[in-house]
Amino acid sequence: MNSIEVHGLTKDYGATRAVDHLDFSVRPGRVTGFLGPNGAGKSTTMRLVLGLDRPTSGTATIGGRAYTRLGKPLHSVGALLDAQAAHGSRTARNHLAALATSNGIGRSRVEEMLEESGLGTVGGRRIRTFSLGMRQRLGIAAALLGDPGVVMLDEPSNGLDPEGIVWIRELMRRLAREGRAVLVSSHLMSETSSFADHLVVLGKGRLLVDLPMEDFLDSRSGPGVRLRTTEPARLRKALIRRGHAPVQGDDGCWTVAGVGAEEVGPLAASEGIPLLELMDLKPTLEQAYLALTANETQFAAHASTTPEKD
Amino acid sequence: MNMSTTAVLRSEWIKVRSVRSVSGSLIAVFAATLLVTLLVFPTLGQAEADKPDNDSLFFAFYALNFGQIAAISFGATAMSAEFLNGALRISLSAVPNRDLFYAAKMSVIGCLAVGTGLITSLGTFVVGQAFMGEYAVGLGESGALRAVVGGGIYLALMTLAAAGLTALLRSAVAVLSLLVPFVLIVSFVVGDVAGGAAQYLPDRAGQLVLHQTTEGSLGPWTGLAVTGAWAGLALLVGWWAVRTRDA
Repeated sequence: MNSIEVHGLTKDYGATRAVDHLDFSVRPGRVTGFLGPNGAGKSTTMRLVLGLDRPTSGTATIGGRAYTRLGKPLHSVGALLDAQAAHGSRTARNHLAALATSNGIGRSRVEEMLEESGLGTVGGRRIRTFSLGMRQRLGIAAALLGDPGVVMLDEPSNGLDPEGIVWIRELMRRLAREGRAVLVSSHLMSETSSFADHLVVLGKGRLLVDLPMEDFLDSRSGPGVRLRTTEPARLRKALIRRGHAPVQGDDGCWTVAGVGAEEVGPLAASEGIPLLELMDLKPTLEQAYLALTANETQFAAHASTTPEKD
Repeated sequence: MNMSTTAVLRSEWIKVRSVRSVSGSLIAVFAATLLVTLLVFPTLGQAEADKPDNDSLFFAFYALNFGQIAAISFGATAMSAEFLNGALRISLSAVPNRDLFYAAKMSVIGCLAVGTGLITSLGTFVVGQAFMGEYAVGLGESGALRAVVGGGIYLALMTLAAAGLTALLRSAVAVLSLLVPFVLIVSFVVGDVAGGAAQYLPDRAGQLVLHQTTEGSLGPWTGLAVTGAWAGLALLVGWWAVRTRDA
């Protein structure tokens, strides 16, 4: 039950193809980061999974069943699509109560989720008085009401304060540890790299990447090391002899592309050069992602300045 | 693990009563009608009854003209709350069976509207007639009880028509700016001009149930049935919209 399967999923809005023959699955026990530029089709895919929009072709299922065929779906899937969608005139407690009641979930669970999401003291306040961060917390409380095996969050850390960001990260890690399938879209690369085990990347509605995080990072760049030594001149010569091109950085550290620590370390040792620091360089998720999407970005000019949702 | 209809009905009831503008318009059906009754009947009531062509039973429900505006607002706002900032997505995530969702919502709106409508209709009749002195119409008189019950049902039908139309147009403002001028002006003007066909307009037809005697081809109950057909049509197009559209 704890999985999302997407097969050949396609959605056209008029002449625009928002989602184009997507195939991927979200497996239990890990957090799957859902990345892509604005308009890549992430939110559309999530709506299709929930049966809110109907696919032009293809299927999106939860444990093999269409969302609309699930009885009491909140027990199977919890979703946060848009924190602003909750009606501002309702209190947080009534908002959750209306959702809970429809799926046969008791009032005690509503109170429990208000507490857990840090909204215990403001449950009786109208949602319109909430900050974006509080609405995100409410949306997450709503998603977890039915203790679902599949959790789908669209930009959950949007508007959260640093404490909230830590909270959501720990929460997602915990949900995955408990064996749930967790799909989280985000624009924040450093955020995503801090919680995701697996990545699904879209560009212009098409699947670009469906890989474990480590594999994705490795696939996007060759090896490289960063090092510090007391005898830079000698080490530099030794490296150049081996055909490498060390580059000195502003902070006195050297970086060497195309070589791993397992080669540089023994080399320095055999030359009798002391190393103060030696580490393999991993590309950040941001670098790897930008390298990947550079030519896929529809709105490259705006992407850096407008962090809005698609 | 199928969805229980009772649970969805209870959920919709929580939704209606927890949004102030929605519960407010429901209360306004009764409050506005009673207020107008108290303003009009002690002052103008007996003078109006003295006019030769006065249908004193129909006049007893004069204040419903205002109550029905509130009834239309109630139907429109109760449904439009789902179309604010994509609230429908949250609702349909919890209740993906759209037929069940729509039926439950309309049932809750309809039941509340019938209840409030009957109380309002009876209230305006009893309170208004208390000021009519020698012209007063009793509940026992011919057609009076029928008009009280019919008036309540009429309010509920107008509420449901507004709710159904809102499901199609996805905006309370659009529905209100369509229905309110229609009820206040168009029907009033066209009704006097067009004669025969005009009696089939939703408000005109339904209000026949409030008359002591009816002249055209529609009787009091058949007139109300015509309004019922209009409301049914609005509910059907709303259902079609909720069923077929992307949320």
